[in-house]
Amino acid sequence: MLSNYLKLAWRILARRKFFTLISLFGISFTLGLLMVTLSFLQTELGANEPLSNKNDFIYVEQIRLERTYYDTITVVDTSFQNGVAVYDTTFNYKESGTGASQTEMSNKIVDNYLRGLPSAADMTMFSTSNTHDVFVNGVKLTLDILLADARYWSIFDHKPLEGRFFDSAEVEAASQVIVISTKTAQDYFGRESNVVDEEMFIDGKTYKVIGVYKNNGKIIEYVSPAAVTPYTTMNMATLDNFYFGPFEVMYLKQTHDDAEKLKDEIRLAGTKVPVDHPDNEHDFKDVVLQPMTYNEMYAQGVYYEEDAEDSYATMKWILLGLLTFFTVLPTLNLINLNVSRIMDRSSEIGVRKAFGAHQGNIIAQFIVENIVQTILGGIIGLGIAILLINIINKGGYLGTSELTFNTKFFIYSFLATLVFGVLSGFLPAYKMSKLQIVKALKENQL
Amino acid sequence: MIKLQNITKVYRTKTIETTALNNINLHVPKGEFLSIMGPSGCGKSTLLNIIGLLDEPSGGDILVDGFAIKKYASRATAKFRNEKLGFIFQSFHLIPDLNVIDNVELPLLYRNISGKERRALAAEALESVGLANRKSHFPSQLSGGQKQRVAIARAIVGKPNIILADEPTGNLDSVMGDEVMDILTRLNKDNETTIVMVTHDERMANKTHRLIRLYDGSQVA
Ligand SMILES: Nc1ncnc2c1ncn2[C@@H]1O[C@H](COP(=O)(O)OP(=O)(O)OP(=O)(O)O)[C@@H](O)[C@H]1O
Ligand SMILES: [Mg+2]
Repeated sequence: MLSNYLKLAWRILARRKFFTLISLFGISFTLGLLMVTLSFLQTELGANEPLSNKNDFIYVEQIRLERTYYDTITVVDTSFQNGVAVYDTTFNYKESGTGASQTEMSNKIVDNYLRGLPSAADMTMFSTSNTHDVFVNGVKLTLDILLADARYWSIFDHKPLEGRFFDSAEVEAASQVIVISTKTAQDYFGRESNVVDEEMFIDGKTYKVIGVYKNNGKIIEYVSPAAVTPYTTMNMATLDNFYFGPFEVMYLKQTHDDAEKLKDEIRLAGTKVPVDHPDNEHDFKDVVLQPMTYNEMYAQGVYYEEDAEDSYATMKWILLGLLTFFTVLPTLNLINLNVSRIMDRSSEIGVRKAFGAHQGNIIAQFIVENIVQTILGGIIGLGIAILLINIINKGGYLGTSELTFNTKFFIYSFLATLVFGVLSGFLPAYKMSKLQIVKALKENQL
Repeated sequence: MIKLQNITKVYRTKTIETTALNNINLHVPKGEFLSIMGPSGCGKSTLLNIIGLLDEPSGGDILVDGFAIKKYASRATAKFRNEKLGFIFQSFHLIPDLNVIDNVELPLLYRNISGKERRALAAEALESVGLANRKSHFPSQLSGGQKQRVAIARAIVGKPNIILADEPTGNLDSVMGDEVMDILTRLNKDNETTIVMVTHDERMANKTHRLIRLYDGSQVA
């Protein structure tokens, strides 16, 4: 029986080319675009190298010193008690503004207050935005060099393609060693490999290349630096402010902990930073640290709100909204098409029933038709997704990022489409299958 | 073969009540070719639909080929229609998305037989109505007479005991009409198929065994 339905479905779909084309177009483009979008999000935000640990990241970018100013409003209630005026005075404090100073942290803050938090499994301290112009054969090349401690390599799991990464002894000794990305190797040496033990001249200093990692093209600078050197190679003597410096911290929380636990410890650590230090020139009253997860950090970069958690929530809604929009609209369209396609065929249903089809036969026929259509759409959608991903990768439209096709997502979205396809076929088919034969035959005659 | 007792059919809408059939009693023995005549709107199609178990009467009893119907939407009724009844509709009712042979095969689809056998039976039925060379045409590519003959092939392909034909010659010229009549007569003679046919054409009615007349929902002769 199933093979009959399959053949029938195939014939009807082949015969109703226009309907089929529109439905297939809807299904396949929805699936295809969904796949490309998800694959982009996966590439940019997924937990893959060097962000395999990203779900355990807690990031502290800056330290903030602040003071809140209050307006005082005096309110006087006058009343008469026993003929004598009584004045009842109250004061209302109203927050009127905050003064604050905020930037990256000094190594003193990090070393004295942010290390050894009980819920932190690991942490790294690094400094971004160190732009250096170097000259290669007289051509200027601008490198964003990350200055980091040795823990950087365990938190961000870059893979050494050749050589090795620096260790804590080298950081301690301020060794002039450098680890570079394949892109930097290409730009500086004209080749992606065989550069270990070569030398690079940066700002009058000579660095020895000890390792190369694969360039990942991610947007966040400390995830995809051009090169990394021990932070101790910078002129530490100039970093004399007690509070402010060039450093950011990335913690790794214990995997099974809630992020809030470590965040609370970090916030608490902030409150322990003294405000009575001479470097607190503006007499700020509070020290605030704002820890955030990797996703919150990313969301804040895309859509800024003071609180990164709000940014993340907003981003989630926006993304969810967009995804819903892009899937619900075509789905509604599909349902609409299916409904009218089936309604249209009431006299066919009448004829089939007159010649011995029972309700189940009719429902099965239309559902198989829908499933065949959805599967066809899925296959085309798969083709579209793979094609688009290839075009994007080949054309390098995302820099050096490579989109990867995610089979799991494909199966999920395909199943979702299938469910909608079946449901949108089932409901009208069920309704129509219950129609009385004479009525079905009378409606739009064949 | 067919027994109707006190069959009435009343259509009720919000404003009016139409009595389409009024107390019809009818007995059609096996192998009879019966024709029904009457002016337009007198209830001929309604009667035929009730005999064919396509429509439920408002009152009365009905027994068709020993089958006492209980539920019109049941599987048993569907199976009975499939095996024992063949319909030829006033307006053909061919499925436009299917070609001629697929249309003819349709009743066999709901039986447990192989695709090969279905093809063979459908080809045979098409042959018997003289349309063996139009198998892969679509209904829109056929003339009225050809459509009617496809509809006949579909009605006879399952070798039913009873054929119910609603003006099978109504849309055809007299030559085509005679041809269709010949097919039905042959079927009735050779296979002892019981046939109930609605017609407006005295000449066609005269070729059948018996004629009844309806007027305003009642049998008058
Ligand atoms: N669904 C319906 N609702 C209300 N009235 C109906 C319905 N179907 C038929 N009728 C009425 O029942 C009566 C009989 O209709 P029927 O179709 O049986 O006539 P007929 O004899 O076949 O006519 P014709 O020769 O024109 O085909 C008509 O008066 C018609 O208006
Ligand atoms: Mg009629």
